[in-house]
Amino acid sequence: MNAIEIDGITKDFTPGLFGAKVRALDGVTLRIGAGEIVGLLGPNGSGKSTLLKIVVGLLAPTAGACRIEGVPSGRVEARRGVGYLPEAPDFCPHLTGFELVLFHARLGRAPRAGMKERVEAVIARVGLVEVMHRRIGTYSQGMRQRIGLAQALVTDPRVLILDEPTAGIDPVGAAEIGAMINRFKTQGRTVLLSSHSPGQIEDLCDRVALLDHGRLVLQERVDELTRQGGRTALLVDPLPEGVLGELRGWLQARGVEFHGVEMPRSRLERVFLETVGRRSKGGDERS
Amino acid sequence: MNRVAFSLARMNLIAGNTFREAVRQRLLPLVILVAAAMTGSAMLFRDFHFGSSELKFVMDVGFGALTFFGAILSIVASAQLFFSEIERRTVLTVLAKPVWRAEFILGKLGGVLLLLLVYCVLVTTLLAGLLWWCETALMKADPGAFEAGRTVAYAGLVWCGLVQWLKLGVLAALTLLVASYARSSLFAVLAGFFALVICQLQSLARDYYGMMDSSLARGGLELLGLVFPNFQLFDVADRVAAGGTLSIGLIGGIAAYALAYLSVYGGLAVYCFRHREL
Repeated sequence: MNAIEIDGITKDFTPGLFGAKVRALDGVTLRIGAGEIVGLLGPNGSGKSTLLKIVVGLLAPTAGACRIEGVPSGRVEARRGVGYLPEAPDFCPHLTGFELVLFHARLGRAPRAGMKERVEAVIARVGLVEVMHRRIGTYSQGMRQRIGLAQALVTDPRVLILDEPTAGIDPVGAAEIGAMINRFKTQGRTVLLSSHSPGQIEDLCDRVALLDHGRLVLQERVDELTRQGGRTALLVDPLPEGVLGELRGWLQARGVEFHGVEMPRSRLERVFLETVGRRSKGGDERS
Repeated sequence: MNRVAFSLARMNLIAGNTFREAVRQRLLPLVILVAAAMTGSAMLFRDFHFGSSELKFVMDVGFGALTFFGAILSIVASAQLFFSEIERRTVLTVLAKPVWRAEFILGKLGGVLLLLLVYCVLVTTLLAGLLWWCETALMKADPGAFEAGRTVAYAGLVWCGLVQWLKLGVLAALTLLVASYARSSLFAVLAGFFALVICQLQSLARDYYGMMDSSLARGGLELLGLVFPNFQLFDVADRVAAGGTLSIGLIGGIAAYALAYLSVYGGLAVYCFRHREL
């Protein structure tokens, strides 16, 4: 059975009483298997958040149907095994991180026995255990996003719906959240996440669904899309003068077409992660 | 598939969280402070009591402050605590759990009712303490006037506080009903204050309907008038201030009247919120 089934979802919004109808989603169909990580990719306004809200049952579709583990997503029962992180949530600044996650654990009917220990364990998993008794108003944006992830995880959901989980977070925080999402896969959880960053989808997801103006224009396995037409790249130390010409001749003599030479550069993100990540390893972002 | 039933426990959890948020936002302490200052200031103006007795003057000002600041608290807290969840998108995280929308909106109402109860208890207690202190001072100054004992009916004060809480609760439910379909908290607050004026003037409007010749128009308008409660029915403080008592029948009647409006407004708020796009 698929974990999430989206069948021909169309969603129209009518702004105001007499506004013209705006079509946010147009006949989107998508199947997500259990244990799969699927990324919704698309520019701003392409309908990613609207689709995720329909999947969680927060919005009713104009047409079509959506089911989570076989249960129509509009029903309260469908949300029993779901964890959801909306885009840039701004939790009550007067609550502490612990109080917030405990509140969500109780709402989500987490078992009463050992509930506080479970809450602490989830907060530890998102790396906020040292600040969990501080008010959320004192948290940085990254810490708020991580406490949001903790509230989504506290009921031990089988299906996770994450709307821009790394929005507003620095590369170190984003990499940590990415590592966490990768762990969900090994735990057999299904993840549907949205992003407008192709790099993030490429790093995290098994499959990508590309939305544009409310239409699903492409869905494919990430490794299929990123494979480059059977070409091979060699990475070698700097070549002495003249060797490149010899190498080219040697390859052509064997019928191998030579396409060009590139000087590989470190990605700035990797340099940042290696430098800052090393320094802050084991610590949290502090506000 | 097991059905998720409506849960009072989850509703109470949301109510508790709403109450905690209101207290930590310092909304309640601020309003209590202002109401207490207003009540206490009655002591400074005792000489300007316009012919009524000193204790009655303190009681009038006290209940006036309780009702006035309570109405502000009721309207602002209902609109603000609801819209803060919408604007911060935290309502999405709550409703993404197996939670009925009815549990959420009734939980919000429950939290505001608890807030108003704490407010009414504290301000009524303060007023009772102030009256006791005043009365004791007067008894010492003029023992002859108090030969029959204390004149203030303190039990009546408690019932007055309870009735004011019911009135403020109805106002909170009405504001929450507006908030459940409104798009901004400012609209909900303004509508709440307009509703307060309409409810206060209901008795005048009903007198006017009563004088109309056409029974059809009179009946239609009276029916329309039922949309808003008559807040004059809740003004029992004058009766207590005049030394009268409040019968159980009267209190029960007012409570039933308030509960009927609370149920209708609460039910309509649930209906509107169920169909609201978040």
